Amino acid sequence: MKHKYLIPLSCGVLFAATAAAQTRTVSGRVTDAAGTGLPGVTVLERGTSNGTSTATDGSFTLSVQPGATLVLSSIGFETQNLVVGDRTSVAATLKTAANELGEAVVVGYGTQTKRELTGAVTQLGSKDVENVPTVSFEQAIQGRTPGVQINQGSGKLGAGVQIRVRGSSSISASNQPLYVIDGIPVTSQDLGLGSSEPINPLADLNPNDIENITVLKDAASAAIYGSRGSNGVILVTTKKGRQGTTRVNVGAYFGTSKATRIRKFLNASEYRELFTESINYGLTTPGSILREDYGFTENDTPQDVFSYFAGSDFDANNDTPWNELAFRKGQVMQYDANVSGGDAKTRFYLSASYNDQKGIIIGNRYRRGSIRTNLDHSISEKVKVGINFSLTRSMNDRVADDNAFTNPLQLNAMPPMQSPYNAADPTGFNRSLLYENALVASNRNNNQSGNYRILSNVFLSYEPIKGLILRSEFGGDILNLREEQYYSRFTNDAAGQGYGYSNQVQAVNYTTNNTATWLKTFGTEHTLEALGGFTFQRFDQDQTAVEGQGFPNDNFRRIASAARFTSGSGSSGTGYSFVSLLSRVNYTFRNRYLASVSVRADASSRFGRDNRWGYFPAGSLGWVLSDEAFLQDNAVISLIKLRASYGVTGNAEIGNFSSRTLYAGSQYDTQPGIIPLTTLGNNELTWENTRQANLGLDFGFFNDRITGEVDVYQKNTTDLLLNQQLPLTGGYQLVTRNLGKLNNKGLEVSVNTRNIDKEFKWSTNFNISFNRNKVTDLEGQELVSGSRNLGRVREGEPIGVFWGREYAGVDPENGDALYYLNTSNADGSLNRSTTNLYNSAANVRLGNPNPKFTGGLSNTWSYKGFELNLLTQFTYGNDLYNIAGLYQSANGDYFDNQTVDQLKRWQKAGDITDVPQARLLEGNGTGASSRWIQDGSFFRFKNLTLAYNLPKTLTSAAGMQNVRVYVTGQNLITITNYTGYDPEVNTSGLNGAAVNYLLGHDFYTPPLAKTWLVGINVGF
Amino acid sequence: MKKITLHAALVALLLGGGILASCEKQLELEPEQQIPAETALSDQPSVETAVTGAYSRLFAGGLYGNNLILVPDLLAGSGYLSWQGTFQSFREMATAQITTVNADVLRTWQEGYRLINISNLVLDGVSRITFTNNTRRTEIEGEMQLMRGLMYFELVRLYGQPNISSPQGIPISLNPVTTVAESSVRLPRASVREVYNQIIADMEAAIQKLPEEADAGRFDTYDATALLARVRLQLGEYAAARTLANEVISNSGASLNASVLTAFTTKGSPESLLEVLQNDQNNSNNGNDGLSTFYSGKSVGYQGRADIAVVAAFAGQYEATDLRGRQAAIGEGLIYLGDAVRPNILRSFKWNSQGQNIPVIRLAEMYLIRAEANQRLGTTIGATPLEDVNELRQRAGATPLAQVTLDDVLKERELELAYEGFRIHDYRRTGRNVGTQPSTIPARVLPIPQYEINLGNSLPQNEGYN
Repeated sequence: MKHKYLIPLSCGVLFAATAAAQTRTVSGRVTDAAGTGLPGVTVLERGTSNGTSTATDGSFTLSVQPGATLVLSSIGFETQNLVVGDRTSVAATLKTAANELGEAVVVGYGTQTKRELTGAVTQLGSKDVENVPTVSFEQAIQGRTPGVQINQGSGKLGAGVQIRVRGSSSISASNQPLYVIDGIPVTSQDLGLGSSEPINPLADLNPNDIENITVLKDAASAAIYGSRGSNGVILVTTKKGRQGTTRVNVGAYFGTSKATRIRKFLNASEYRELFTESINYGLTTPGSILREDYGFTENDTPQDVFSYFAGSDFDANNDTPWNELAFRKGQVMQYDANVSGGDAKTRFYLSASYNDQKGIIIGNRYRRGSIRTNLDHSISEKVKVGINFSLTRSMNDRVADDNAFTNPLQLNAMPPMQSPYNAADPTGFNRSLLYENALVASNRNNNQSGNYRILSNVFLSYEPIKGLILRSEFGGDILNLREEQYYSRFTNDAAGQGYGYSNQVQAVNYTTNNTATWLKTFGTEHTLEALGGFTFQRFDQDQTAVEGQGFPNDNFRRIASAARFTSGSGSSGTGYSFVSLLSRVNYTFRNRYLASVSVRADASSRFGRDNRWGYFPAGSLGWVLSDEAFLQDNAVISLIKLRASYGVTGNAEIGNFSSRTLYAGSQYDTQPGIIPLTTLGNNELTWENTRQANLGLDFGFFNDRITGEVDVYQKNTTDLLLNQQLPLTGGYQLVTRNLGKLNNKGLEVSVNTRNIDKEFKWSTNFNISFNRNKVTDLEGQELVSGSRNLGRVREGEPIGVFWGREYAGVDPENGDALYYLNTSNADGSLNRSTTNLYNSAANVRLGNPNPKFTGGLSNTWSYKGFELNLLTQFTYGNDLYNIAGLYQSANGDYFDNQTVDQLKRWQKAGDITDVPQARLLEGNGTGASSRWIQDGSFFRFKNLTLAYNLPKTLTSAAGMQNVRVYVTGQNLITITNYTGYDPEVNTSGLNGAAVNYLLGHDFYTPPLAKTWLVGINVGF
Repeated sequence: MKKITLHAALVALLLGGGILASCEKQLELEPEQQIPAETALSDQPSVETAVTGAYSRLFAGGLYGNNLILVPDLLAGSGYLSWQGTFQSFREMATAQITTVNADVLRTWQEGYRLINISNLVLDGVSRITFTNNTRRTEIEGEMQLMRGLMYFELVRLYGQPNISSPQGIPISLNPVTTVAESSVRLPRASVREVYNQIIADMEAAIQKLPEEADAGRFDTYDATALLARVRLQLGEYAAARTLANEVISNSGASLNASVLTAFTTKGSPESLLEVLQNDQNNSNNGNDGLSTFYSGKSVGYQGRADIAVVAAFAGQYEATDLRGRQAAIGEGLIYLGDAVRPNILRSFKWNSQGQNIPVIRLAEMYLIRAEANQRLGTTIGATPLEDVNELRQRAGATPLAQVTLDDVLKERELELAYEGFRIHDYRRTGRNVGTQPSTIPARVLPIPQYEINLGNSLPQNEGYN
């Protein structure tokens, strides 16, 4: 695939394939501008597949035909043609290509040179994802990808990552991009059932095996994926072997980690102060809930009340820092090795790696072992076969979802005078606490998910006539997930009997792509590339689970020892299929006028019988302005390229059978019954359509010292796949319909500069993305994400807008929490007077969880063997809502320990504060409101790496080609006004159905890890 | 060599072509766990499974699995029970600070109307198919009408205004809903009286149509009679209530268990006229839901979350020998001192294990209805109020009374039916206060779920909720 773009160049060289006996040997050396030898440069005899790559010092030797031209290419450098002529020894200097016009970019079903690209595409290389202490590769590219917003959501290892390419384009269907690894769409959705915390199946790909990642953002690039292109497409290409000396690389890193931030809570004496006040209010106020509903009287004491609710002594002499007990010092380590090389006929890449991360949250650990073989072989000049195969075993010791008592973060709710331990208890832990002691669970439960994953594809390509390549590939993504859970009898979820759950999911996702690509140059000025093909994908998922209760004791943890099998037991299956036809024509005139047209036709089993086939056309134009005569040899401008594209993409990520009205089994005691589902079917259901226009500019100034790209876009989504809410009185809840409209528009700017380019080098990359999302039509509906949550979908507002009651602070007279009425006056104006009646206040717009802009700034300094890279990342203008505030920042309403800011509560008439009077159980200011909304902007020192490459003189003496040692810090400093744990937060598990619009909510969500590691890479 | 490669390429192309041809067929995937609605109610066997399906909804957490029994008690918890748990939705109910987005307000409404529609669908289905035996057709009609009437009765008491002459009852839907168009219809609130008229019509029809005896967990004619007695009592129609209750006591064949505990520890005991069946596989108790989950707080057997405390003053009303009150050992009486989570607080033993059946009608209630109605009317149909009350007291181990007043009967009703979901309904019809406030205040009437208000359905919202 890699050198397919070279074929147009070779088309003129028709006399190349003459007698093979007349070859001659050419040797040479390839250097950079500074004269340093460049290793790994691909040296190819033009018009053939004969080639090699340079050794560490830049040298190469190759047998070529007489009169051959060599094509020298390497990522980051301009591709150069070198006429050998009669020489037997040649030398070449490659120019650094900041605009990388000659660089190959992976696109859907092919590659293009950067010059030929007319769509909006971002490509990242292996350097960006290698040796970063994250579980999956998407976490590593945060801050490097304009137009792609990546939110890790929490610091849980192996959990789902939220990715939005140019904003959310759907309300009820998935907003995650399509992932394609080596040409095959892979399973990227959570398949787990044991917990509402999603599992990320992309973690099964070893990031060190990645050669490059391409994000297709606009319609011109993504429409070739048709009904699944609307959310963007992320193409991952794994490393391939190259002809030449066999290279061996081994590497390892070790590090430790801790939480980016731990929130502060009250200590014992502060707690007693606040709660004595709170309880006394209830005891002394006639008609209080404590007296009315709980029967306490003024003769009772705070001690009585506390021990009634919290089950222990209010005055106990403990001061437990519960907030810290959820955390520990984490560890990360990785070992990996790969071997690559090959000859003219066969190229290979072999790798093995092991990654072990012990999380900062107690009980959380992730391990992954993987092997990969990428092999391709030229049967003849015209026929090539290849296989990419990886096998991964991953094990994840999971953390309970945010909303579970066994989530260790919920330990921060415990009163500090309660002790975590009790020597007399069989578990050694104190189990008479306000809430369940999550330490028992983390000590005695297990909650594991383990994957076996095979990502594989085989291909055959055949070039029957010059320029026509027929390619057939077949890919299988086999995911075997097993979830094993055991809850000790000493934890509440096990109801005193022990609880076990074992779930096995087998997901087989297979795809066949069959394409014909025809490349033809007409004369010297016209180049045409035409692609046609069809693909078929089938996904089958089978699941078998067994749930048991009643275990003899905690030493028996498998369900064979359970007394009873319970309701979570069963087996089920589901699946979907796609049949597609695709075509694309790229035309280039004079190498600077570019045009591309593509169409894909898709049909899916997911859609209604009456509406099965959809068509997704796109077109684009490009103009390399700087190649025009009037700009050539301009001293300032080295590149100006204009791009424009327009096209249609779709989104098909809905339930497999949403178009059908169905009845499911439902059992009454031992009798089998059937009931209708709560969703109605819709025979007309089809994909949602996104029409996207993109205008782009690529520029280079001062001999490409400054380069960059600017893109503006508008995405209009119509026929939204919307789970339309139905009146419940009809007996159903939802119907999935193509209803409603939304749009995203935005601007992306990316600038690269080489500030100093001498022996000391300093280069900078800056990128910033603005996206504005607006839901324009829902036929008057409003989607509400739940009772405590504020996220909603409303017409005229961005997805996930915070909507609810507006907190107005505290009445200085009496300490009542106040809310703005926000009702309409008779004259139509807004009534901004306040009320202490929560229910009287109107719901209004309170904030927006979508950032105004996001981006990254990366600087690289290098001098001799030293290299320093600092990546910073920022998000600005989004709001966060801490739902846990209802409990932990609620002026002592219930016995949950409170955040330290609650000490500022109102105490006497005249106090000016925004924390209401402490009144136990009275709900003074505890309804969901803007009280817990804060600005979520942050600026993070995301990754700092200092590396040193040992001098060649030293390494070659030791028989090594290169040795690199490095120190990396991840998430070192976070600058934010958010007072919670970590501003990069997005709780899962509160409302699965609302996952697309429950944004920016924080609910006992663990923070990210701050990691330091040292590592080494050695090449032989 | 050339030949081989040519062959390989041909095979690849043919393979490709072959797949394309067979692909259209691949788009016809059928669900593996569901069947299409068109065939679901197409003959007698399928309708029978749909009837079973309707019963299977009864133990849903929004219905008898939890809310229909817990919520009426939470709404009148003062001096009776207290909510110690963390679920915001239940704490809002226990403290009468309910929000319109309360998750359990939504859930019970949704589950109730879902079951009403299932009943309507089956009623429609039976009218379209042929039965080998028309008696069975009539029985199914009776079952589904009672199901529907029962749901309307539960919902109107919780979401409708307490005043019988209020125009704000709940929407009535009697047609099967199968299409998006039908399902999108916005319904107005019928008046409370209209809803009761529908309930009575359904239950009276059910009494006629249902058999004398039915399988465990299913409706028979005496279930319909007993439920109608409960409806009549709620409406203050004492003579009718008395007649119906007396009919059940006299003819249903049910009898009081020897021990007052048996109804809660043994499935299908003679006293239970109607139990919602549960077993290990099919029940509401999943650790985050269900009566036993919230009530139970013991270290032996099903442990539970111990979220609901029995108020000590309430437990103090039982005599020491009364097995309905607190006994020293767990499992000897219906109130015990918890020994697991939040220990040393009184808990109810009525909800004690995961797969236990949920008694919805016990014969004891019929004695209490007959006693109350006789007492109010000054009659002694079937038995004297004193005899009925003492029947229950003696069974429980309490000292028989010498004479009874209406207050005595009502108190006995509280003691006997504690934690079974009667309290707010009884307090409203008898005009008693919850704490110092009337039991009928707007804050103790559930709001129409905000979800419906947003859709413009079931308007207007109840008083006190914006």
